Amino acid sequence: MNKTITIDGNAIPFEDGQTIMEAATAAGVYIPHLCHHPEYTPHGSCKLCTVRVNGRVCSACTFPAAEGQDVLNNTKDLNDDRKLITQMLFVEGNHFCPSCEKTGNCQLQAVAYYLNMLDDHFPHFYAHREMDASHHEVMIDHNRCIFCTLCVRASQQKDGKDVFAISGRGINKHLIVNAQSGLLKDTDLEASDQAAHICPTGAILIKRTGYTVPIGERIYDHKQIDEVALAEESRPLSKEIDHG
Amino acid sequence: MQEILTDCGAEDVLGLQIGGPSGTFISNQEFDRKLAFEDLATGGSFIVFNNSRNILDIAHNFTHFFAHESCGFCTPCRVGTSLLKKQLDKIVEGHGSAGDVVALEELCQLIKTHSHCGLGQTAANPVLTTLERYPELYQSQLKLISYEPGFDLDAALETARRMANRDDAGAHLAQIDVE
Repeated sequence: MNKTITIDGNAIPFEDGQTIMEAATAAGVYIPHLCHHPEYTPHGSCKLCTVRVNGRVCSACTFPAAEGQDVLNNTKDLNDDRKLITQMLFVEGNHFCPSCEKTGNCQLQAVAYYLNMLDDHFPHFYAHREMDASHHEVMIDHNRCIFCTLCVRASQQKDGKDVFAISGRGINKHLIVNAQSGLLKDTDLEASDQAAHICPTGAILIKRTGYTVPIGERIYDHKQIDEVALAEESRPLSKEIDHG
Repeated sequence: MQEILTDCGAEDVLGLQIGGPSGTFISNQEFDRKLAFEDLATGGSFIVFNNSRNILDIAHNFTHFFAHESCGFCTPCRVGTSLLKKQLDKIVEGHGSAGDVVALEELCQLIKTHSHCGLGQTAANPVLTTLERYPELYQSQLKLISYEPGFDLDAALETARRMANRDDAGAHLAQIDVE
């Protein structure tokens, strides 16, 4: 007999070794997330996937599913807090969706849509962040980095390189690249690397492709992120997933 | 608590910080409480403040400390402790208005509930434990207006004034609506 947990009152089957996120995704239950990606080691830092497991606050992407768990996911309290956490990410960096070339394909924007975020709520940090356009095919706009570390993990775990890392502490945390000069052009990153395509926001972009799909015809212009995420992340993970 | 204070000869006590910055602040009405896991837990830190000290200064100092100490791994603590620092600064510096203490408490609960580790989970304690005991102290800092922006409106226009080469009354903004 299958082992099960309950999520919002529904029985969800799981296998030993699965996280709550993995069991939920396989069963067609969406848990909001940004730093989680099924192909990479879970990180548990964005805190968007916070659920309550038998009353205790846990990150669904790192917490192992186990018999007897009663999980709350899609509740007003949790979604209200997830919206506040999303708003924190928006005010921390400089996110101008209407003028960003990732608009419509951006997971940060799509999560904000999903959570019905209508304002920034918190005061802006107006952080001064640089751009790195030195590489001939790939650019970094640090204004949009949310420190999910997906590029760090993709470079190490998929590309067999070590192009990206996070440096600094606290609010001064920032993305760095593996080159003496600190410039992307001096790393061994190539546009075909998974790390160049994994960014959930518009922080890492492939040059000269920004408007090949017109605004209005992009992924989240027509679909909610729950539908897109479940379709992409519950299928067998052999094909490259490209959000760009 | 009273026994320890008597033993060490503490006089004119305003309150105690038990368990360091992430612990609990207790007022001088609570000295019958006990040092114990079941009541006031501490690894040894026991800070005595006399009546020359300002409660808001204490919370302010500890809150800045936590924003500096945050490693930045998780969103609620990385962004939250810095937002908390800003929000408390706004109130302590006299720029708070109606709703700012409520916003302060909302932020504290969010950081406490969702942070990844103990630092974030306790970073709001200096504000929460003092706010619980001295709500009027926080409220008395607020201006009697409905809202004041979190930044200096007039200073923000300085670049535009310079570029437009004007400095007349119409090129200035008051921080609050004068009614």
